[in-house]
Formats: sequence, C-alpha cells, structure tokens
Amino acid sequence: MVDKHQAVIDYLINCPNILNSPLYFNFINAEDDSNQFLTKSNDKYTNTHYIDGSIGKLYTFTIMTFKSVNDIAVVKLPDYPNENMSDLTDIQGLIEWINEQDELRNFPDFGEDCIVETISTTTDEPSFDGIDEETEPNLAVYSITIEIAYIDISKRLWR
Amino acid sequence: MAISAINLPQHQRAPRKLLITVAEWMEGSAEKREVLGRRTEDSSIEYNADTETTTDVLGINYTDVNKTQPQQDFDPYLILGGSELAAKLNDIRRRNAIEELSQFTIYVITAYVGSASAYEAEKHVNCTIVYNSLGGDVNVNMPISIYYSNDITLGTVDKLSDDFTFTPA
Repeated sequence: MVDKHQAVIDYLINCPNILNSPLYFNFINAEDDSNQFLTKSNDKYTNTHYIDGSIGKLYTFTIMTFKSVNDIAVVKLPDYPNENMSDLTDIQGLIEWINEQDELRNFPDFGEDCIVETISTTTDEPSFDGIDEETEPNLAVYSITIEIAYIDISKRLWR
Repeated sequence: MAISAINLPQHQRAPRKLLITVAEWMEGSAEKREVLGRRTEDSSIEYNADTETTTDVLGINYTDVNKTQPQQDFDPYLILGGSELAAKLNDIRRRNAIEELSQFTIYVITAYVGSASAYEAEKHVNCTIVYNSLGGDVNVNMPISIYYSNDITLGTVDKLSDDFTFTPA
C-alpha cells in the first residue's frame, strides 16, 4: 500500500514554495521561511460508500508557513514594498500552484488502489494564524489547508 | 432446480457490492459490457408488482400478482472518462434514436449465492435503458433507468469482471 503522506510530500516538493524552503513533518523548530506539514484526520463518517464497493475519501493536510515579521507601515512608494505583504503574496503561490495542478490533473500518486479526483485548497487565501513571539525574530504563522479527494477502489469486486 | 444457499457466514449481512448489474450490447460485431453503479451510492431493483386484492366476507384478503415490471434507477450516473456505455447512450441521445434504447442485455449477478467460479446470475434480454436527464451541478450527470424485460435466462457467471462467461442453468 502506498504511504499517502510520502506521496504527498514527493508531490509537494515540485512546488517552488516548498522546494525552496525547509519542510518539516508535523514537528518543527520554526524559523523564518520554513514550512510545516501537518497531518489531519478525517472522520470516517464523511466517507461516501458506493454500491460497487469503492469509497470516496478525503486526504486533508495543512501547510503552516512561518515568516519573520516587521512593524514598518505600508507606504505608497513602489520601491518600498512591505515585507509582510510580500510574504503573504509569496505564500499565496502555493494556492495558485495547487489550483494549476488540479487543472492539469496532476495529482499525487496514491497507487493503483486509489483514483485521485481533485486537489484543492479549502480557502482562496492563506489564513493568518497569529504571531509566534517566542522566536527571535518573531514569526508570523500562516496556514493553507489542502484536500485531496480520491476514490479507494481496493474493496471493489468488479475491476 | 435446487435452491442455492446464501454463501455467507451465519448472520453476516451481504455487502451491497455483491449485487451486480452489468449492461451488455453490440457495437458493430463487438460485444461490449460495462458494470453499472460507479459513483452511485444507492440503487435498487424496484419490481413494481401489479397486485389485485380481494376480501371475502370473513375479512380475509386474497392478493394476486398480475405482473411485475422491474425497474432500476442509477442516479447519479456520472459521465466518466472511459465509460463506453455512457458514450453509447450519449450517442443515442444526440441522434434521438430512441428505438436503440431497447437493445440491451442486462445481467443481474447475485454474488452472495453460488461459489467463486459459479455465481448465480440472471440474464435479461431486450431490456431498455432510458436516460432521464442530463446536467447537474459540478459534474455532468445523466441519470438512467433500466426497464427489465422479464425475458430471463437463469445461469451462472464464472468471474466478476467484464470478461465473464455466462453459463445457462
């Protein structure tokens, strides 16, 4: 059976946002420009059972991104971009990459027992989850939750 | 003909996937088959029995069954890549060639009866498949109804895949 966590990490590594920054799995000693892959569990009652024995499931995970913060006000000068805003735009790139892959039907490889149907983010923009003030520099914490809808056909009788 | 026992352990419920509906049709000289029920959560054969009940002076009911008109709906029936039956029905729909809707053979396989190499099955010839609508919300759905002919041959199938062999009893 394919390890779905590994399959998703192998897939995400193709995204420039992930490729160019350290990625940690569930546990992290956060630093500027690092990412944390957080696994999530879905209630089995949300699965969809089909009459041929296949099951519609979701694989859900969250990417937390940590960015150093500054307290400089936004100014209307093109040569003085605001770092906080630039960081958010940068993180937005992961959402756009996921949307592109979904359009291209380029999905993680969950093996021959699974048919991946869609990959999507649950929001159109990253969520700002707060500031980690225990780090130096202080880090802004952003998150993007991603859902992969797939059909588990391992219990199908008729192939 | 002897009645076959249910091939499940005592008290085990039969999973829905053990009741299988397969459509068969000719495409030129080639025989095509496709199992029904992909992405369908619930589908039952409705027998639509035409009954007539009389009550005698003692209040006892006597019910006669004049006929059954079995029908099975598949809703949703999503248009899926690779589905030859969906392509066939869509072609008929485009041409409004409704007379071609009555050319299907339907196998009802009860895999909870029989053995691994001889599952009990019913072959219904000259059945009709009707597309009921076309549309939906996110994905294209073309719900269909099968109208069984009741022209039945009993038998068995040797395996649970499109290349099965049906052996009349």
